[in-house]
Amino acid sequence: MLTQAFAQVILATEEVATTSEEADSGGGIDLLLPASEELLAGIIAFAIVFFFVWKWAIPALNDTLAARQKAINDEYEAAENAKVEAESLLQDYRSQVAGAKGEAAQIVADARETGEAVKSDIVTRAEVEAEDIKARGHEDVATERERVASDLRRQVADLSLDVAEKVVVLSIDEQTQRELVDRYIDELGGVQ
Amino acid sequence: MENETAQASYVDGYASAMLGIATVEGGEIADEIFNAAIALNGNAELIDVLADNRIPAERKQGIIDDLLSQRASSVTVAAITFLVASGQARRLDEIAKRLAYLAAEAEGEVVAEVRAPLDLDADQIDRLSAALSKATGKRVQVKVIVDPSVIGGVVTKVGDTVLDGSVQNRFTELREQWG
Repeated sequence: MLTQAFAQVILATEEVATTSEEADSGGGIDLLLPASEELLAGIIAFAIVFFFVWKWAIPALNDTLAARQKAINDEYEAAENAKVEAESLLQDYRSQVAGAKGEAAQIVADARETGEAVKSDIVTRAEVEAEDIKARGHEDVATERERVASDLRRQVADLSLDVAEKVVVLSIDEQTQRELVDRYIDELGGVQ
Repeated sequence: MENETAQASYVDGYASAMLGIATVEGGEIADEIFNAAIALNGNAELIDVLADNRIPAERKQGIIDDLLSQRASSVTVAAITFLVASGQARRLDEIAKRLAYLAAEAEGEVVAEVRAPLDLDADQIDRLSAALSKATGKRVQVKVIVDPSVIGGVVTKVGDTVLDGSVQNRFTELREQWG
């Protein structure tokens, strides 16, 4: 690049010299061209400036450009990393959302299953209890019926015995009393 | 408990005294005292009168004389009068039974207290005594107590054993079986 610049400067100088020679030989163009001393001084000044530019300014500029390029590259890389990270996070988020949805669906399914089991259990127990109550009711009715029948039988028996006792007592005269005493003695005599 | 023990001691003491009188006088005095005491005890109103402290002793003695003098010896009348005057009118039944027990025990016998709605004749008493002797293995002296509350049959008590042959008991047993 620097070599090209020098080549251009030399060509320009040769062109100026050629032009100057042509002016010198041609006449009118010399009016436009600077004097040779002035041209030389300009060339030297240009060379000096060029040297400073080439020595310090261009490297500094190159360094600045390189630093900027590096910064840009770093930022780009950081952006890429951030993008990748964001995409990863997004993927994670999506995975989590999908997982959460799945988990929520599982929870709902489990809750529904549990609810169904509880419902079934409650219904089963209620049916068993109802059957027990019904059976106990039947048993209670049967027991009550038996108790009433037993009470009735006992009352009838007591009543019958009361009547029989009164009839017997009224029918016992002195002769019967003596016969009963004799029978008692006879039975007692049979006891060994 | 102590009161019951004291009562038993009173009864035993008076019965022993009556037995002493009967032993001295001999004969059927013990039986007479037993029968007289049981007969008087069978009339609750009479016992109330004889146990009433507001009625003079002379009046009570007159009642006893009126009731017993024609049916028992003067010794028996005097013994009953003594028991009533001693305030034992309400214990005549217990003293009579204890007397019978002590008298029988003195003769090597046991007393069978026989409650019946009517008096037993001599034959029935002999047969009953024999049957009870056979059943218990001991010589039994039968003491008949006429008790109208016994309906049809006899209730015999020998010691702690009760042989209830009354119709009433048969009905009671039937009620228990059917109950």
